[in-house]
Amino acid sequence: MLPHKAEVLEIKQETETNLNIKTFKVKFIDNDIRKNFNFKPGQFMMVTVYGLGEAPFGFSSSPTEKDYIEFSVKEVGLVTEALHNLKEGDKIGIRGPFGNGFPLDSTEGKNIIFIGGGIGLAPLRSMINYVLDEKNRDKYQRIQLLNAFRSPEDTLFCDDYQWWENSKDTLVKYTIDEPCEGWSKCVGYPHTLIAEELDYNLPDTRVFTCGPPIMIKFITERLQELGIEPSEIITTLEMRMSCGVGKCGRCNIGHYYVCKDGPVFTLEQLREMPDEY
Amino acid sequence: MMIKKIDKNQFKELFDKLKENYNIAAPVLIDKNKKTLVEYHYIDDFDKIDWDEQADSSPKNIIFPQNAPVGNDYKEKQYYDTEQDTLILGVRSCDIEAIKTLDQVFIEDEMYIDKNYKARRDKITLVGLSCPQRNKSCFCDTLGFNPVESNYAPLYIFKDGNEFWIKVKDKKFESVFENLPDGNQDKLEELIEKRINTFTESSFELDIPIPLPEKEMFEADIWEEMSEKCLGCGICTYYCPTCYCFNFIWEGKDGESTKYKNWDSCMFSTYSAHASGHNPRDSKEKRYRNRIMHKFSYHPLNYEGLGCVGCGRCIDRCPVNLDIREALKLTEKYLEEKGGAKSGKD
Repeated sequence: MLPHKAEVLEIKQETETNLNIKTFKVKFIDNDIRKNFNFKPGQFMMVTVYGLGEAPFGFSSSPTEKDYIEFSVKEVGLVTEALHNLKEGDKIGIRGPFGNGFPLDSTEGKNIIFIGGGIGLAPLRSMINYVLDEKNRDKYQRIQLLNAFRSPEDTLFCDDYQWWENSKDTLVKYTIDEPCEGWSKCVGYPHTLIAEELDYNLPDTRVFTCGPPIMIKFITERLQELGIEPSEIITTLEMRMSCGVGKCGRCNIGHYYVCKDGPVFTLEQLREMPDEY
Repeated sequence: MMIKKIDKNQFKELFDKLKENYNIAAPVLIDKNKKTLVEYHYIDDFDKIDWDEQADSSPKNIIFPQNAPVGNDYKEKQYYDTEQDTLILGVRSCDIEAIKTLDQVFIEDEMYIDKNYKARRDKITLVGLSCPQRNKSCFCDTLGFNPVESNYAPLYIFKDGNEFWIKVKDKKFESVFENLPDGNQDKLEELIEKRINTFTESSFELDIPIPLPEKEMFEADIWEEMSEKCLGCGICTYYCPTCYCFNFIWEGKDGESTKYKNWDSCMFSTYSAHASGHNPRDSKEKRYRNRIMHKFSYHPLNYEGLGCVGCGRCIDRCPVNLDIREALKLTEKYLEEKGGAKSGKD
C-alpha cells in the first residue's frame, strides 16, 4: 500500500482559468519499477501527495509510450489543489495500476466511437492513442471521436488533434455547449449530435463514453434509441477511493467495487447493478 | 486433539508460564470515568480477566487497530515486522466468527493480501471461550452460529465454575499443555450438551434468504422508515466486530511523512462523497441501506458467510436504539409480502 516515488517531468496547463485542468507527465525514479510498470487504457492509479493524501486518476497517456505516464487533473479538492501547486522536478507517489481497463482484445475488428465530455476525455485519450498507434491501428476498423467541451477555453489535449485527424480512416468532431464567436465546429450537447455528425450505424460498432454523469445518461439513452446494444456501450465510472483493491469499502455499487470490478462497465452490466453511482 | 482440565490456580500458573513467550490480551473490567466497561487489553495478571461478561468492544481492536502506521516515505521501514506473538484469551464464538470474516477479506482473497494485517494476524493465536449465557441483545444462534463451540480457534476454553476445560486443537500447542491433567472427553461433551440446551430458546426467529437479493432489496421501499432515527454517528460500525472499512491518511511533511490506515465508517456522509461534491450515498437511508445490505447481501455475494455475527453490540451502543434485528424482521416481512424471494445467488 506504499506508493513508488515518481518525478514530475512536465506540467501542462490544459484549460484556461475557468476550469483548471493540468496534465502531468511523470516517470518512476526507480528504473526497475519503470520497466515493469504495465497498464491498460482505462485502468487507474492512486497518486500520493506526500504528507497530504492520495486520490485516484485514470491514465491519460497510452501504454505504448514507454518513457513516461500522464494523468490529467481537474482542481476540485485538497489533493488536486496540491497537485496543481507542484512544480516540474517535484516528487509524488504512485501506486497501481488498478481496475479492469477497457476491453482492448474484444474490441479488435470493430468500428469504434469515442464520446468524451470535458475531463472525461482523459481516460478515453489513453485508449484513443493506443488504437491510433501505428502498431495497433490495423486491428480496428473506422475510429470516430466526438469531443465535447463547455467552451473553446475548455478544450483538452489540443496537441493531439492534428495527428488524430490525420490518422487513417478516422473522423474527429468537436463541440461546445453554446455558440461562441470564432468557433466554426459543432455546437450543442454531444447526444444531440451523434446521428448527424457520426457514422453511428456502421455494423459492429462499439461506443466508449466518459464524462459528467448527466452526459453519460443522455448519451447512453440516445445510443440505444439509435439501435446500439447495451453490451456495446462502454463507460468508465468515478468513485471516491482509498485502497484501489476492493477492501476499504467506499466505492461499491452493490457488491461490485468500482476499483477492482470496474471502473469500466458496459451499459448491460450497469443495468443489472443497483442504481447508486 | 488434547483435552485438559485444570482449576483456577493451575490456570494461573499456566498463564504465568505463557507470559514468558507471549503477550496476552483478555477481556478485563476497566473503569472509564466511573463507567465500567469490559474491553480486551494486554494484561500481566490472570486475576484481572473477566470471564463472565461479553466484552463491550471486540478483539478487532487488537487485530485491526483503529489507527496503525502502514509505512512512510523516507525509509523502507515496514511496520509489519514489529509485532510480538500474542494470545487473545477468552474470545467468544461471535468474535471468532468475526475474525474469520476479517481474515477472509484481508488474507484469504487471492486478489490482494494485506501484508500489515497478515503479519499481525500470523502472530496472534485465538483462545476461544464457550459462551456461558445469552446477552440481552445477541443473536448469533439465529444466524446459524454456535455460541458454545467454534472450530476456528486452535485453543478453546470451557469454563465451568472454577474449573477450566481446554481443548487443544492445534498440535503445535500440545507441548505447552502436555504436563497438565487430562480431561475426560465424555464429561466435556456432556457439559457442552447441557450448555447448548440453555440456548435452545432462540433470541428471535428469522427467515430470510442469504445473500439477500441484491437489486430487489436495494429497491425496496423500507429503508427510509428503518433509518429515520439514525444520527449517522457511526458508533455501530466502530463497535461492530466485522466492520472493516478504512481510510488511508498521510501525516507529516514531504520527506518525513507516514501513511496510516484508520478505521472509517460507511455511516459518515463524507465516506463516499466525491471531491466534486457529488455523493452516491447522500442521505442516511442510503447509508443505512448500504450497511445492512453489505452485511447480508454484498459480503455474502463476494465471500463465504455473513458480514454480521449477531454479537448485538450495535444494538447496545446505538444512542437512538436502532436495532438491527428489527431491520431484519422488516426485511423478512417485505420479502414475505412480495411472495417469498430467492437469494441473491439464484
